[in-house]
Amino acid sequence: MIAENRKNKTARYAMAIDVDRCTGCGACMVACAVENNIPPAHEGATERKGITWIRVFKVNSGPHAAFVPVLCQQCGEDPPCVHVCPQQAVEVDPATGIVGQMPERCLGCRYCMAACPYHARYFNWWDPEWPAGMEKALNPDVAPRMRGVVEKCNFCHGRWHAARQRAAAEGKKEIQPGDYVPACVEACPAGTIQFGDLNDPASAVAAASKAAGSFRLLEKLGTEPKIYYHSRRDWVRGIADAPQPPMGKENARG
Amino acid sequence: MRIPGKLLFLAGMLAALGVGWVGFPLAIYKSRPQPVDFSHKVHAEKAGSSCEDCHAFRADGTFSGIPTLDKCAGCHAAPMGATVVEKKFIEQYVTPNREPQWASYARQPENVYFSHITHVKAAQLKCEQCHGDQKSNDKPRLYQEDRISGYSRDIWGRPSSRVPLRTEGGMTMGDCVACHRERGLEHSCLDCHK
Amino acid sequence: MHTTRRDLFKFIGGSAVGALFTPAPWRLITDTALWSENWPGIPRPARGEIKTKFTNCALCPAGCGVRARCVGEQPVSLAGVASHPLSRGALCPFGLAGHHLPYHPERVKAGDAQGAAAAVREAVAKCAGNERIAVLDLRPGRTASWTYRRALAGVKNGLYVAAPQPLGGWAVDLAKARTVISFGVPVLDGWGTPGNVLQARANFRLVQVEPVQSRTAILADEWLQVEPDVAAATAIVKERAANGPVLVLADWPELLALNQPGETIAPRQEAPVPDSWKTAAPVTELSDVPNASIRALLIDESVPGAYIPWSEIETKLVRDNPMVVAFGPSRAGYGRHARFTIPTPVYPELTDDIPPAVDCPGTAFRVSAPLLPPPGGVVSPADFIAGLGGLDAANALRERADAIHKSGRGAVFTYADAKSTPVKELQPDDFWKALNEGACWIGNSATMPARSGRGPALPREPRPLGSGHQDSGFTVVFTGSQPGLLVSPILSKLYQESNLRLARNGAVLHPDSARSCGVEDGSRAFLETPLGQCAVEVALDPSVPPGFVQVAAGPEVLDICGASLRARVVRA
Repeated sequence: MIAENRKNKTARYAMAIDVDRCTGCGACMVACAVENNIPPAHEGATERKGITWIRVFKVNSGPHAAFVPVLCQQCGEDPPCVHVCPQQAVEVDPATGIVGQMPERCLGCRYCMAACPYHARYFNWWDPEWPAGMEKALNPDVAPRMRGVVEKCNFCHGRWHAARQRAAAEGKKEIQPGDYVPACVEACPAGTIQFGDLNDPASAVAAASKAAGSFRLLEKLGTEPKIYYHSRRDWVRGIADAPQPPMGKENARG
Repeated sequence: MRIPGKLLFLAGMLAALGVGWVGFPLAIYKSRPQPVDFSHKVHAEKAGSSCEDCHAFRADGTFSGIPTLDKCAGCHAAPMGATVVEKKFIEQYVTPNREPQWASYARQPENVYFSHITHVKAAQLKCEQCHGDQKSNDKPRLYQEDRISGYSRDIWGRPSSRVPLRTEGGMTMGDCVACHRERGLEHSCLDCHK
Repeated sequence: MHTTRRDLFKFIGGSAVGALFTPAPWRLITDTALWSENWPGIPRPARGEIKTKFTNCALCPAGCGVRARCVGEQPVSLAGVASHPLSRGALCPFGLAGHHLPYHPERVKAGDAQGAAAAVREAVAKCAGNERIAVLDLRPGRTASWTYRRALAGVKNGLYVAAPQPLGGWAVDLAKARTVISFGVPVLDGWGTPGNVLQARANFRLVQVEPVQSRTAILADEWLQVEPDVAAATAIVKERAANGPVLVLADWPELLALNQPGETIAPRQEAPVPDSWKTAAPVTELSDVPNASIRALLIDESVPGAYIPWSEIETKLVRDNPMVVAFGPSRAGYGRHARFTIPTPVYPELTDDIPPAVDCPGTAFRVSAPLLPPPGGVVSPADFIAGLGGLDAANALRERADAIHKSGRGAVFTYADAKSTPVKELQPDDFWKALNEGACWIGNSATMPARSGRGPALPREPRPLGSGHQDSGFTVVFTGSQPGLLVSPILSKLYQESNLRLARNGAVLHPDSARSCGVEDGSRAFLETPLGQCAVEVALDPSVPPGFVQVAAGPEVLDICGASLRARVVRA
């Protein structure tokens, strides 16, 4: 890394998720799988061994319930998964703030999965297989991964590449806000998820991150996640400090 | 009579050097000729074409790469010259409307997101910077493919030894990184990988 | 001269040292690494020009506008059309993966269409005077439905049977309602046009009356965990009528009758049809058909619609050797009971129009234009049935579009430029072209008609409400509606790789209920009714009240439940 001679403007992409709006329909999970060439479940895949880069959990509290989409929390400068990787297959991209996972470097030791406090990383237990013919419908901007490597949300980085290509075609130097939006944000029918650059004070996420009722998951661990949640309900905000991730049962995936 | 040990050692070394420098580069590549003896030189000089005339960008910013047959047939529906190559090309491909199976010298693997337009239009690189001077190329060289990795020889670069890596002569990750680093554009793996 | 082992070692040692000074070993290491990065057997996504195409989703009557990102001609991802007047830019999870359906492993690709046609002709020939040749249309109101009716007018003893419409053929205006009282209707779980419901949601108070904690119950402003009888339900509605217009959503006619017609609810309207079509066969409801009177039945399930339990259909068939042909993309539906299953195109291969959804108060017309060509061997049910009646219906959609254009009403919203153009300003050819390239025609009468006149007949045979439960079974509650027989295999993310939705063979019980019938979490069991049984996988959830079983509404479960909605859970 040679930070001093970087020429590009740097961004810190972030998400703001309004838990009160989420209807738990699962459109984000499907759009994510379609966008990122994640295959349909192998017959042996379960809630623990399946691959869902973004996953909507139902959280109960007495008679109340809420739906909470959980994805890679895109921790700040110092994500736990980066430290533990013996292969340097995980890194924070200084240009976008995205925590990137390089499947071609990954050797499949799954230290990062143990280190991640959000259980947002997934292991390919099986070869990626699509029903005959369906491989024609794969997204050319994302490379399918092989068996034996870890993968996770990278804010639809392929869309960032595509947006930069479109910007270059139009003769623009930089991409504009709105040119680059992850698939889950685009797919959400309830407008639950906002996406933008925290370094841009005019962006909706920058405002949402400071709004009352905004919280981050397991903030006390100091991981500085870039996914901001919001709820007007006290009990929903309480899940942020839960000793377990916000799900019904402990997920001992991997 | 005994051969001195030092000599045997040296003989082994020489044999290995011979195999490694001469035999290995021959063995590691399998080659096939291009379907047509296309001459970039003729097209550049006689037809006055520039690279973009055939290797064009599409409206969406993607790069079309090697042109398809309809592009060729646009000019070569009937012979324009008297060469045997052209006549054969029209007989074998244009008339039966059969797409020639060109081999791409510069195909990057699936895990790389390479965008031509960001390099050519936004960064103002010349085609020659990576692809070398093709204007004087009269006959396509043999397409050589690495037997193990499946990469074209041009990705690796012509010389078998790439130590130390040089910035020209190849399209490996090292070459990309070297150029990006020189320009202060190297951030992380996600710059190029998808 | 003789060589020793020692000489050989010296030579090998020399070669080893020499090899280090050649590219070979280093290159082999690199190559092996590269080979492992490009693991063989992993599919390579095709590259090509990125194009955008537009169409309308045909998976359910919502007919949401779709923007398809295509590589060349192949759609690779779908998204909603922003600022769409009906679907408001939204797609549901099923619609987002609709482009996978042509590759579904359970899809039927071959069938004996000629044999089926011959068998139907034979049935027509030996049909007695009081017997019928019937077409059952699961999604009435389409242009294809008109084709069936026109064709059946020319078939001896032809009968057109339409599946019951949701809300008994009424349309609702959510934007006008201040309070929505839903009796078990999954308002926020794929009902109506999801985007429209979510947009209107901010302006109404939602009261969900439902015994189980459904997704809608979770998100409602008020959840009444009761199963009321009519008197109690009426009291619930009366109590909340003071806060402005109330909309009551329910499956029972007695409760629907609590609505004020013309206020938030009105008869569903149909887009204009050519005058020459008016001689078509009348629409009959299945309940009006005499028992044991249908000699041959053709069922169109090529586009998903209401599923009628097989037992209700079976009673209408003649006793001796009835002829049933199912038109559908899979054998999972009526194909299980039919003599012939004829494969049909699936969305996004089919060409069809989508009648207005239940939450569209005005008229609308949109065409689901194919994004992909259908494979060989599939048969359009409209062509097949038109052929039986000797009708040429190949241009039916175009004729309908021309009739709409002739009426001069309304405007057409085109997706590519998000513009609304009055129909009067367009030529018929331009109107037709726009409809095929992604557009939606909306009639002028988007406002509610005046409060007068009778609406369409409500469905008969109301489901029992609050009936006493004397038997030992559980009350069945359906959840997680899915549009039709095929959904993309990628939906496994929602029910297999997570527990967001209930799998098609899943049954959820309260732990106490499970104990009483001896089943455990994750165990296999049978759902049993007098009509049969169906294998399920049991999950436990304390939010399901004791005495209830929550199941996903698939054809297998619907077939065995019939109208009774009581079932026992038996250990496998």
